[in-house]
Amino acid sequence: MKIFVVGAGQVGATVVEALHSEHDLTLIDLDPGRLSALSNRYELRPVQGNAASRRVLQEAGLVDGALFIACTSRDETNIVAAMFAKRLAPEITTIVRTTREEYVEIWRERELEIDHVVSTELETAHAVSRLIGVPAARQTDIFAEGQVQMVEFDVEEGAQADLVGLPLRRAEIPPDSKVASIIRGDRTIVPRGDESIEPGDRIVVIGSPEAARAWSQLLSRSDRAVDDVVIVGAGETGVAIARLLLEQQIRVRMLEADAARAREVAELLPEVRVFHTSGLEQDFIERERIGHARAAILAMPEDAKNLYAATLAKLHGVRFTVAIVHDPLAADVFERAGVDVAVNPRTVTAEEIVRFAHDPRVLQLSMLEGDRFEVLDITVREDSALCGKAFRELPMTGSLIGAIVRDGRAIFPHGDDMLQPGDRAIIFTESSRVPQVERAL
Amino acid sequence: MAVRSARVSSVVPRRAVGVDIGGALNLVGAMLRYLALAFLFPTGIALGYGEPVWPFLASGAITAVAGFGLERITTGRDRIGAREGFFVVSVTWLLAALFVSLPYLFAEPQLRHPVDAYFEAMSGMTTTGASVLTDIPALDHSVAMWRQLSQWLGGMGIIVLALAVLPRLRVGGRQLMEYEAPGPELEPLAASIRATARRLWFLYLGLTGAMILVLTVVAYTGLDEAMTFYEAVAHALTTLPTGGFSTRARSIEEFGAVSQWVIAVFMVVAGANFALTYRALVRGQLRAPIRDEELRLYLGLLALASIVLFLDLVREGIHTGEEAVRHAVFQASSIMTTTGYASVDFAVLWTGLAALVLVMLMFVGGSAGSTGGAIKPIRILLTGRILRRELDQTVHPEAVLPIRFNGLVVHERTLRAIGAFVLLYLAVFAVGALVIAIDSGRADLNVGAFDAIAAAATTIGNAGPAFGLAGPMGAFAPFSPLSKEAMILHMWMGRLELIPIAVLFTRSYWRA
Repeated sequence: MKIFVVGAGQVGATVVEALHSEHDLTLIDLDPGRLSALSNRYELRPVQGNAASRRVLQEAGLVDGALFIACTSRDETNIVAAMFAKRLAPEITTIVRTTREEYVEIWRERELEIDHVVSTELETAHAVSRLIGVPAARQTDIFAEGQVQMVEFDVEEGAQADLVGLPLRRAEIPPDSKVASIIRGDRTIVPRGDESIEPGDRIVVIGSPEAARAWSQLLSRSDRAVDDVVIVGAGETGVAIARLLLEQQIRVRMLEADAARAREVAELLPEVRVFHTSGLEQDFIERERIGHARAAILAMPEDAKNLYAATLAKLHGVRFTVAIVHDPLAADVFERAGVDVAVNPRTVTAEEIVRFAHDPRVLQLSMLEGDRFEVLDITVREDSALCGKAFRELPMTGSLIGAIVRDGRAIFPHGDDMLQPGDRAIIFTESSRVPQVERAL
Repeated sequence: MAVRSARVSSVVPRRAVGVDIGGALNLVGAMLRYLALAFLFPTGIALGYGEPVWPFLASGAITAVAGFGLERITTGRDRIGAREGFFVVSVTWLLAALFVSLPYLFAEPQLRHPVDAYFEAMSGMTTTGASVLTDIPALDHSVAMWRQLSQWLGGMGIIVLALAVLPRLRVGGRQLMEYEAPGPELEPLAASIRATARRLWFLYLGLTGAMILVLTVVAYTGLDEAMTFYEAVAHALTTLPTGGFSTRARSIEEFGAVSQWVIAVFMVVAGANFALTYRALVRGQLRAPIRDEELRLYLGLLALASIVLFLDLVREGIHTGEEAVRHAVFQASSIMTTTGYASVDFAVLWTGLAALVLVMLMFVGGSAGSTGGAIKPIRILLTGRILRRELDQTVHPEAVLPIRFNGLVVHERTLRAIGAFVLLYLAVFAVGALVIAIDSGRADLNVGAFDAIAAAATTIGNAGPAFGLAGPMGAFAPFSPLSKEAMILHMWMGRLELIPIAVLFTRSYWRA
């Protein structure tokens, strides 16, 4: 596959390292020094220039590219470059790295002509959330006025044993929910009863909101369940982490040294208790019983301060500490110095980008979540051949009826339930099967 | 000349006045001019009942001439500054009450004394409903109706009315309306302040019309023998502004149970935020009103007070059954919305506990954006949250604790203003109560401590009746002129919510 990578910084380097052996790489960067450092080490074609320039992209031979990864540290450069790339080569798949959550939101509203956005803050937040044992849903979609949810999870090592590794028909799946798909390595599986969920999978679940919450608990690491977390540093990353933890009903306290930012975050997140303090004073830590927190997340911009604060938290009895580190070489030092886990936002971002590059969905025309798979909301016709048949008798195809809405109430069907005319069916299906499904109902 | 004036100023340094008094008075004149039109209403009634017309024509003429004159001798400005706004609002209300009092001076023997006439007019304009009249049925229909109309005009606010019609207030009008509108913040109903003012008046007119209609139906279906079309109009005009003036000697007691219930319902509506009522009735949005924290507190306090009063009335055997429910609900609504009607002589018949509950309600008042007065539920709510935060902060000095209202963060500046308002309100109330107590003692009046407190609370809260001699069936006539003047000040300051008037008494206001 012909892949273009824009940006030879930390993220770019990690992406190149992961992809160079299997793919035909072109690396674009302004800085000749960084370019040659990477091109000397790996087999790739360096292009020196500004990727946010159409001419540079043209000259780099973009026209027959398959994948375009814009991962410089500047959001605007990435977005502009990706948009130019799409214009020059409509077939190309674009991935943009961003540090601003606003862009992610705009992209989700389909207002940005980009195939995928990877947010450093969000990826870091997800990594932290997974680390402290409460993997948050990666994406949630809501159907039938909020009665039906589709949720995407990462399955970690250490999730509950009565779920992982067992054939689905024997696993204890929360009631009112179904596993709609399992993404494993480079395969996507619409699971049957004999399929099982394995650690490292990414799964898509359809179910009631309660079931979605139950799934999130099932996938938590039982040995490290937390309910009280302290986040030191209320920057963008800290806030993104806080948001994810709040979604899972975890009590969050935040410490911020800058008065104006502390106020801003206190206004933004009413459920979080924000303190205006550096968080490095013994007196404060004692008084606010910071030591009672099950986990401390150190998300200040300075690595050294994070290390210091992590050590301090440990001294006061916090059991689990996660530090955000920006220096790629520091992670190792930190973990040896007593921080339980050090998370490097750039590494996490690069990993996610690489994951997408490997993802089978990338090979599709576009890899917008909804493009390979679609969730349909169809009202069943009276003359549908499927009416009046029990679910177990329905033909096994690449589609799955996640829920039906009858008289305004969501029902999560079992084998004995029957489709009735007038039911609204929420169906998870491959895009290619959409016309077939529509005809059948 | 220039040289000489420069030398004079070097000898006696003239301090520049930072307020454009001329421009402010010009605007006051322009607004008073329109007030003259209001005199046509009682003129028509006087014609209909064959009563003297001249007091109203003369008063109207004087008002018009004064308005035009004031406008002529001063220079107008295209826009009114924020500073001048305080002056405009305060002075407009003082002068408006003065002109409203003219027909009383001319036509009503009971109000011959200027202080009495001015008291009655200020009580009307500020929708207080306290009266110095001892014999209300003796009033001419036209004078009685003028009293009612003065409350209706004052209820929504003369500035709001002026904003709706005066083209020159397009700029800077918002400030004026903020100063006059009850509550800490004005909720705009439309993009322009002018359209907001119009919508508010449209709703006000509509609700008044609806109430007249309902009471008229009650009258003509024979549900209430005492109700007539005339009484329907008279009481609709004083219910929606939460005024409380009645054409009857014994207020609402003279009407039947059905009318009392109808009036109670409209009092509760008048004491709720008009912006919310507008959204619910005109736009059909029910979500915002249901979730509004102030509305919930308003209705909650109303319900709580009604229940306490009901239990007390039943336990003491004063009323029973439906009567007890009705009087409890009616009196709680009447006093808390600062209307001031009486369905029963609560000052004589009810217990000390009931009296205490009613006086406490005088401090609560109607919602922000309603026609009710006093401190208002929103300020009580936020003061409560400020106190809770202080306690929280004592234990957690570093915690950053924004205060929210309806989910939105309230500016610290607004919170400070609310704290200041509540303190100032209580201070002015205390001074007023002292003045009334001392002055009444000097005049050998039978006014106890509780009566003085109630009289001060009822006037600053724009409620109306008090206890003792100024009870709901009594009158404020026996008080000495000094006490009455103190109460006039109270009503004026209470209606404009203290701050616009209080700033006029600071030195920095007048400095350049």
